[in-house]
Amino acid sequence: MPARILIIEDEALVAMELRFVLEDLGHEVVGIAADAHTARQVVRETEVDLALVDIHLSDGPTGIELGRELAQQQHVTVMFMTANPGMVRNGVAGTIGVLSKPTDEQAVQTAVDYAWSRRQGRPIEYAPPGLQLFA
Amino acid sequence: MTLPAWTESDRLAALKSYDILDSEREPAFDDVTRLIARLCEAPIAVINLIDAERQWFKSEVGLGVRETPLETSFCRHALLERERLVVPDTREDPRFADNPLVCGVDGLRFYAGVLLKTADGLPLGTLCVIDTQPRPEGLTPLQSDALDVLSRQVMNLLELRRALTAGRKAEGGVIAAAAALAESEAKFRVLADSMPQMVWSTLPDGLHDYYNARWYEFTGAPAGSTDGEGWNDMFHPEDQDRAWSLWRRSLATGEPYEIEYRLRRADGVYRWTLGRAAPIRNEAGEIIRWFGTCTDIEELKRASDSKDLLSQELSHRIKNIFAVVSALIALSARQFPEAKSFASAVRTRINALARAHEFVRPHTENSRPTVGTMTLHAFLNDLFKPYATLDGRPRVILTGDDAAFDDQAATSVALLFHELATNAAKYGALSATGGEVTLHTRREGDRFILVWEEKGGPAIAGEPERTGFGSTLSTLSVEGQLGGRLERLWAPEGLRVTADLPATALSRRRAAQNVA
Repeated sequence: MPARILIIEDEALVAMELRFVLEDLGHEVVGIAADAHTARQVVRETEVDLALVDIHLSDGPTGIELGRELAQQQHVTVMFMTANPGMVRNGVAGTIGVLSKPTDEQAVQTAVDYAWSRRQGRPIEYAPPGLQLFA
Repeated sequence: MTLPAWTESDRLAALKSYDILDSEREPAFDDVTRLIARLCEAPIAVINLIDAERQWFKSEVGLGVRETPLETSFCRHALLERERLVVPDTREDPRFADNPLVCGVDGLRFYAGVLLKTADGLPLGTLCVIDTQPRPEGLTPLQSDALDVLSRQVMNLLELRRALTAGRKAEGGVIAAAAALAESEAKFRVLADSMPQMVWSTLPDGLHDYYNARWYEFTGAPAGSTDGEGWNDMFHPEDQDRAWSLWRRSLATGEPYEIEYRLRRADGVYRWTLGRAAPIRNEAGEIIRWFGTCTDIEELKRASDSKDLLSQELSHRIKNIFAVVSALIALSARQFPEAKSFASAVRTRINALARAHEFVRPHTENSRPTVGTMTLHAFLNDLFKPYATLDGRPRVILTGDDAAFDDQAATSVALLFHELATNAAKYGALSATGGEVTLHTRREGDRFILVWEEKGGPAIAGEPERTGFGSTLSTLSVEGQLGGRLERLWAPEGLRVTADLPATALSRRRAAQNVA
């Protein structure tokens, strides 16, 4: 069963590449949002299972708050993808973890599989090595 | 003739100490000569002080001169070697033959003198009476006694006079010192008040007793209101405890005080301020005062903050560019399926560089990827994370000495170990379950040696015939960039690679600083 994924990323090329990778894996990318406002709008209008959230968006470093909100209020499974993982070193309540950018297809695949399995309540043995989990 | 118990130089020094020679006439001395002349019924009476080459008269009656030359030492000795000398008729005494006072002037026939002696026994001169008539009978007992008593009185007068002079001089000295002090303090205040900094001083116990004008101008505090311990209220509440404990520590240890804190300006705005103080010690090494300054560093701090911010922003963008480039390569390769492995190789190399950059770029406490220092081992552990087993156990095991590591070395180190690790994952120890790599790093004198040892991979037949670009990249990193040597040993149980680097290669900037 494919996941409905929202990419929240302000670098169009990075977002596009990510979209191809996710689609190759059989998932459905329901939208790409470059800022927090657009992301909220997508989540209001569409069913979203997973959100891959960058921290620095086109409206500033709004990703952390956005991720927290989506996870806690909208029940979206949130995973951060950022070039600055130190920003969320102490974790963000309700979210899964952080994947450091740049990354590769392999790391994205295992991290998304992990997040999707958790959301579906499937048993998971190990977290992928590239994904830094929040406690 | 017995030798005197004193030397002429001591005697002259003593005479000089009374500071009497060539002084004006003084009634107290004139009273003595007048009285003794009358008592002795002599026309001439003299208080005669014997200088090196003259006789000088502090007071005289009937002589009309203040001094006469004294050319022969005989005369001096003759005058000074006895407590008292009475010459009834000078013409009959050979000792007076050359004395101009006696024989140089007509008709001086009788001489009677008593020594003027200091408490130490040094003779300064005589009190004497002279007559123009010889006196075969000499002086009467009363006259003789009067001469003794008055000679002692002259000495008392001399002592008194010297004591008074010394007193006046001492007093003058104190006044001059006070004036000098006042002037130097005035100079200090002018200097301190014209400084752009705030200046203050405290007593050894830390109690503030002085602030310059700039302090009152800056803080707007009424003059004197911050004496004592009132200064601490001028600090930002969050900085008060820190400033107070640092200051107490300096007071206790005598160590210079230096701190940055926020100081309240007259308009209520807190400004970042650099506070410094140093103790002033006396000759015994005891602290007698503390002098301190406060310098407004708000602008400096802002500039430095914005510089930090800028460099973090730039660094963040660079990191982002790595992500964009990486995405661009992947996207570009999508059109050319045959380029997929090529693209993937380039991409992972770019990613390794990005990790290296992330590790060594300027960080704030928030952006730092790991807690603690950025060391070689911390970086390598991060780089090898993707090769760990599924349950997170590392397959590249790091042992040995850790080292500091900077941005100049980071890219080379990242590329070297990225190539070794991807190669091991494709063909070597990391390609087989149970295969493992140990990476031992050690400092040896001025060398830093890293040994990569693969075990448990497929058996190795020998050195590969063709070396790939990855291998070239590794060699270039170590030998070209880091100035070291790279050796590969294709042992049957696994590849063994030794990188032998100058110890300074990992942290050139620090090495350069140490030399400087």
